[in-house]
Amino acid sequence: MRVIVAVDDRGGVLFNHRRQSSDRVVRRKIEELSEGHALWMTKYTASQFLTLPEQARLSEQPLRDAGPEDYCFVEGEPLLPYKDDMEELVRILWNRKYPGDVFLDIDPEECGMVLESTEDFAGYSHEKITMEIWRR
Amino acid sequence: MSKRRKSGRRRQARTVRIVIFLVVMLFVGLALFPSDKRTASTSSTGSVTENTVTPTAAPADAQTAAQAAADQGVTDQAAAQAGGTSFQLSDVPAYAGAPYVAVNNNVPYFSDSDMQATSFEQYGDLDSLGRCTTAYACIGQDLMPTEKRGDISSVKPTGWHNVKYDGIDGKYLYNRCHLIGYQLTAENANEKNLITGTRYMNVEGMEPFENMTADYIKESGNHVLYRVTPVFEGNNLVASGVLMEGKSVEDNGAGVLFCVYCYNVQPNITIDYATGDSSESGDTGAADQGQTNQAAPTATQAPQPAADANQTAAYIGNANTHTFHRPDCSSVARMSDKNKVTFSSREEAINAGYDPCEICNP
Repeated sequence: MRVIVAVDDRGGVLFNHRRQSSDRVVRRKIEELSEGHALWMTKYTASQFLTLPEQARLSEQPLRDAGPEDYCFVEGEPLLPYKDDMEELVRILWNRKYPGDVFLDIDPEECGMVLESTEDFAGYSHEKITMEIWRR
Repeated sequence: MSKRRKSGRRRQARTVRIVIFLVVMLFVGLALFPSDKRTASTSSTGSVTENTVTPTAAPADAQTAAQAAADQGVTDQAAAQAGGTSFQLSDVPAYAGAPYVAVNNNVPYFSDSDMQATSFEQYGDLDSLGRCTTAYACIGQDLMPTEKRGDISSVKPTGWHNVKYDGIDGKYLYNRCHLIGYQLTAENANEKNLITGTRYMNVEGMEPFENMTADYIKESGNHVLYRVTPVFEGNNLVASGVLMEGKSVEDNGAGVLFCVYCYNVQPNITIDYATGDSSESGDTGAADQGQTNQAAPTATQAPQPAADANQTAAYIGNANTHTFHRPDCSSVARMSDKNKVTFSSREEAINAGYDPCEICNP
């Protein structure tokens, strides 16, 4: 399974049950990245897309339902129970400090993953966003 | 067709006249019954006291109430009420390592009628001691800066001292701290919008909320209703903290919703809030004399990175995942040194926002 998650400088994902941030350029990148694969997400995550990509699959437990080759775009779902099923982690860094009360609960290094690539790009509402791809 | 249009115009003109009449009557009513009288009349119902009543949050009233409270000698409670809230400092837990704490379940004290998608910004008058009151705005892209921030050093907020300590990012203890951040409403040297705030409150407490609000507005094009009220105890010149409220308007808080108190503290520094004097913690100087409230910010050591943490600490936290472990947990062995933070107790880790590891169950 391939997991996509966006975090702030402190590894935060949500604050007060709401995503810390979003950016249309990130959504476009995720669509491109997952082309040809299923892209699982919750209804809440889907709400940030104006038009859902063709490959989108909705589930209240996307990590449980995703197949080995599928992508999962998660926002606050615990990853720890699925760490052994995770072949790839796409970690998007906002390069900003936001308030947070739900944090990414795994460290890819601790899960035995290796940083394969890093890409910086400008977002629509963020000066610099970094996309890291970690692989087992 | 043309007759119908004319009669429509007449009806429209009549409606406009009625609306103007009602608005004029409203203003006359406000002039005859100022906000303090309306508060007293609400109190007379017996269901609420003067101390806990929530006044109208209409911007003009908020300012009037702020000035009235200021002229009477502001207490922390009254100062917070000036922001249109019934927030009380005594409800806030003592500082315990986290730069902010949610109040009122993270729901701002705005009323439904405040939720208008029209940009405005209002900065309350300084009180009789020269202290800032409430800054209130409905922030849209039209208020946001189009150029770099200007010089604000001409403003000397109450309690201001130019004082440096080693170990503080940038060394200076105090920042001229915007109530509504520059990135939101582009205010430069506005004395009604700048307080004496610690570096820690500015960067760790307030700035994350400003960032979240600014990025949401830029991304969505929506408005965010936003209010910051500094909370002073008695006649202190330095605020104990600030109450920050924010709610996105067009989606009724689905995008942004917060109500938090940010502590005006600096780890390892003791502050005398009456004057702004300060000393390193452990000093037996005159610090902290002005504090009477339980939220007295006796600075607590924030979690610090430590290379040899495994040997000495009771618990090791991972700054990336915000999980803490027993030192002998297998996760600690794989953790990068740069991500390690140490805690002397379980309570300290939890207060700093860390969750226990599900493997070693610390």
